[in-house]
Amino acid sequence: MRRVALGFILVMLAAACGGGGGGGNGGGGTPKNGGTATIALESELHTLDPMDSSLLVEREVFYNMYDSLFTIDSSLAIKPGLVKTWDTSDPLNYKFTLQSGVKYHDGTPFNGASVKANIERYKTGATSRRKSDLSSVKSVEVTDDTHVIFHLGKPDSTLLATLVDRAGMMLSLDAVSKGGQNFSLAPAGAGSGPFEFVEWKRNDHLTLKKNPSYWRSGLPYLDGVTYRAIPDVNAILAALKTGDIDIARVIASKDVASLKTDSNFIYKDVPAIGFNGFELNAGTSPFNDPAKRQAVALAIDRYAILKDIQFNIGVVAYGPIPPSSWAFDSSEKIYDHADASKAKSTATGFTFTYKTTSDPVNQQLAQLMQSELSAAGITMQIQTEEFATYQQECANHQFQACGVSWSGRIDPDGNIYAWWHTGGSFNDSLYSNPQVDQWLEDARTTADQAKRKQDYDNAQKQIVQDAPYVFTTFGVSAQISDTKIHGFTLYPDLMIRMAEVWKS
Amino acid sequence: MSNAPAIVAAGTPIRRRPIALLELAQRNRGVLVGLVFVGALFLIALVSPIISPHDPIATEPDNAYLPPLSPGHVLGTDELGRDQISRVLWGARVSLPVALVAVAVGLVGGGVLGLLSGYAGGLTDLLLMRVVDALLAFPALILAIALVAALGPSLRNAMIAIGIVAIPVYARLVRAVVLQLKQMEFVMATRSLGASPIRLIVRHLIPNLMNPILVQISLSAGFAILAEAVLSFLGLGAQPPTPDWGQMITTGRTFLPNDPWLAIVPGIAISITVYSFNLLGDSLRDALDPRLRS
Amino acid sequence: MSYILRRLVLMLPVAFLVTVGVFMLIHLSPGDPALIILGEDRNPEAIAQVHQELGLDKPLYAQYLIWVGHIIHGDWGRSITTHEPVWNAITDRLPATLELGIAALLWSLVVAIPLGTIAAVRRGSAADRIATGVSVAGVSVPNFFIGIVLIYVLSVSARIFPFGGYVPITQDPWESLRHVILPAIALGTAGTAINMRFTRSSMIEVLNHDYIRTARAKGASWRRVVFVHALKNALIPVVTIVGLQIGGIIEGAVVTETVFTWPGVGRLAVESIFNRDYTVVQGVVLLAAFSYMLANLAVDLVYGWLDPRISYA
Repeated sequence: MRRVALGFILVMLAAACGGGGGGGNGGGGTPKNGGTATIALESELHTLDPMDSSLLVEREVFYNMYDSLFTIDSSLAIKPGLVKTWDTSDPLNYKFTLQSGVKYHDGTPFNGASVKANIERYKTGATSRRKSDLSSVKSVEVTDDTHVIFHLGKPDSTLLATLVDRAGMMLSLDAVSKGGQNFSLAPAGAGSGPFEFVEWKRNDHLTLKKNPSYWRSGLPYLDGVTYRAIPDVNAILAALKTGDIDIARVIASKDVASLKTDSNFIYKDVPAIGFNGFELNAGTSPFNDPAKRQAVALAIDRYAILKDIQFNIGVVAYGPIPPSSWAFDSSEKIYDHADASKAKSTATGFTFTYKTTSDPVNQQLAQLMQSELSAAGITMQIQTEEFATYQQECANHQFQACGVSWSGRIDPDGNIYAWWHTGGSFNDSLYSNPQVDQWLEDARTTADQAKRKQDYDNAQKQIVQDAPYVFTTFGVSAQISDTKIHGFTLYPDLMIRMAEVWKS
Repeated sequence: MSNAPAIVAAGTPIRRRPIALLELAQRNRGVLVGLVFVGALFLIALVSPIISPHDPIATEPDNAYLPPLSPGHVLGTDELGRDQISRVLWGARVSLPVALVAVAVGLVGGGVLGLLSGYAGGLTDLLLMRVVDALLAFPALILAIALVAALGPSLRNAMIAIGIVAIPVYARLVRAVVLQLKQMEFVMATRSLGASPIRLIVRHLIPNLMNPILVQISLSAGFAILAEAVLSFLGLGAQPPTPDWGQMITTGRTFLPNDPWLAIVPGIAISITVYSFNLLGDSLRDALDPRLRS
Repeated sequence: MSYILRRLVLMLPVAFLVTVGVFMLIHLSPGDPALIILGEDRNPEAIAQVHQELGLDKPLYAQYLIWVGHIIHGDWGRSITTHEPVWNAITDRLPATLELGIAALLWSLVVAIPLGTIAAVRRGSAADRIATGVSVAGVSVPNFFIGIVLIYVLSVSARIFPFGGYVPITQDPWESLRHVILPAIALGTAGTAINMRFTRSSMIEVLNHDYIRTARAKGASWRRVVFVHALKNALIPVVTIVGLQIGGIIEGAVVTETVFTWPGVGRLAVESIFNRDYTVVQGVVLLAAFSYMLANLAVDLVYGWLDPRISYA
């Protein structure tokens, strides 16, 4: 059995081609109360505390247990969460009005003081992984129970999107201190979300039960949600078919077509927010020569990858920003269909090594690219590594080419800044272009969305042209369930939000 | 899976006079059948490039998922249109060397340890045997997995890891024989006459070791092939496109609902191969064990 | 008593070697736990912070001494990926592994003892050869392959058994049984060959003894002689090999637990190796080593107790 490698290949494995934004809500009828749903998780969680969380599957559970300050709708627009209304006209002082009367599962009230305490915990906690998320927040001022002001050290147009995610999740600090050292294993009473924590048997299951006094009245419909850890996409499909689970987050792309035709199951998808492809190391030979990077980008046939590896689930990618985002630029097609002769005239006759993991889909992809590149006179050697080794070598720039995908972030900044800003934390390729840096910084500090889009268009065009990364495809966010599941809304961020889901 | 069959073999009593394999085969039908099977496997491995109808790694996407008995593809084709029978035949060229190398690593490593330990005795023996105990106490499969994780996933490293796991069995076996020899009068006599240790090893030790080692080799060859399949199943063994049976099961199982033969055929190939080695080892042990001879 | 003491003392250097071995093996493996922990949230500051949290910035020998020092005081540390106490991580999963291991053992004995007895009684007959052949075949099929086929035939296609998962026997005995049957068959089949071989050879030996002949001569029925007198004595060596198998339950289940998504210790070990969860890998290996050594000791003692001819001076 192969592990599904954290977030990196999930998007690859996830499934089918959808139209534009907007995930319809699945199925008509009047919502019914009661019943429980079982969801498969393709990898085991490490923690239930948003403070030290770093896995996609953790966020997936969090969204049903905790409430964030902000939420998104199915087209990624920022919507109210625990913050009811907001005023961001002053770029250094964001004024938030909070929902009133919200209580955590342990009965303690959610209020301004709680927001301040949570943000401070994230900013200073010894094991906090949220420090860089919140680096622009200087302090939180509590005006009264329902009003807070976020004081920023520098303008940050990505902050609201960041507060949709873990950095904006509010916890009862009473519950946190009661949980002590074991809080991240059993966060009883800590959330204010639609479901409450019951128990977590690691490697087996995680159980949540209905929060009867949820502040969004009438919700949730289900009595409970159970997550089962099944770390293998084939086993997930088997469990779906045997009825041991109701909802799967991912299945293998090759199995989507047959599931679609099976009347016992529902398969639907929308474009997700991540990208797939591989890094080329601009810091070392041979890819310190831009022409060689461009030759590789020219020789790769994205349409063949989409068809043969992803079974036409998703769309081809030209840059880092996917069609689900407001910053998507559909005109960006510098490298479209593979062009071996153009690649040959750019650079040919060189050899490089491509690092990947032993996952069968990754292996198939590597072999396909190998044959595409050989048509352009480029020799690609495949080096298969165990996941931890591969991850370390890619992060430490010890590679020529490395297959790394990105699960994506709500704000386009999250798909581009860390990857290609000089010294960015995901800039494994050691790419550096002062002009790109400038555009990315501008986009970060400008509130005007039209201006930001212009910056991202410019930066994207330059990055794609310079090819420190070869973009191949964009994945999808999918509903994979049996037909008893209704009220399912597809969100591009791959998260399954269960508050409005009901079961017949 | 465990290394357990080896425990059985270690208890085999030592016979002074080695029995010729052919003589045994004539007397014991199991030995004969085992020898024929194992011989046939080696023959297949040897001639598979000649008898395979297709290149085992040549892909033909338009001909993917052909069922068995399709024209030109007796056992059908896999998800990339590769010819299944060619891959299975070539698989013997992967599995048998795995068995040989892993056994060789175990035999040489364990042999040296056992020889040193048994010959030197005293403190050296005590210490070396604790190392062997530690290796035995280390859960075998977890050790193999950790070793491959440390060395990097590849067929070569899988062979090394499996060989290391087999070391304690051979160390104990060799040591036991050495100790028994040391007790024997004729050895004491030769030693007092100043015979070199090399001569002792060649003249007395090796002949006495032949029988138990033969049994152990064929049993641990079977174990090695199974262990390699497990490592491949976990993504730590042979890497695609190598036509490796364990790898083929792993890939093939994702197609079980519609195209079951993709996993079943290599599964049967592994089973037959391991069965042959086990049959040979078991029959040899019976044939060499006076208590069980009918 | 002094024998037991001596055996226990001899375990100490072995345990020491195991701790050094597992520590070196996992720490020298390439890969950085900080990167695994941080995933897509990695950045240089966070990586440095995690290294410090876990003490990975200290020299290796110091990390080893700290770990062993804690173990000696009964503190197995906390998992570096989940912060779960290692001891709890193992003991939480132990019931699942034990249930699977014992069910597998029962399955192998249910097949092995009758087959072995028949083979011994009818030695050299076709029945003997078939029984022996079947049991050798059992040890020759990869257990994950048996598991995969069982899942697809009996679970996914026929829907007779649920797919994977574990229900504690204390919670619902019937459901527990339904869940454990397929993995137990996959895991236990290999054991049948070994157990059947032991039953057969020990039965042959017992049947050659004088008292059996005497019993027969006194007119006891053949069936009674075999199943009452002989089998009881023949099972003594089988008990020992079964004891050794119990000591090996943790490692035996590694693959089966993975195939059936069984929340046991074997799967914990494999996932922890992949995640470079140093403390958990070290803990599982140490525990497995101890259980192996203690099972060996227990088997020797039981054997001596059952068979008075053996005495430990």
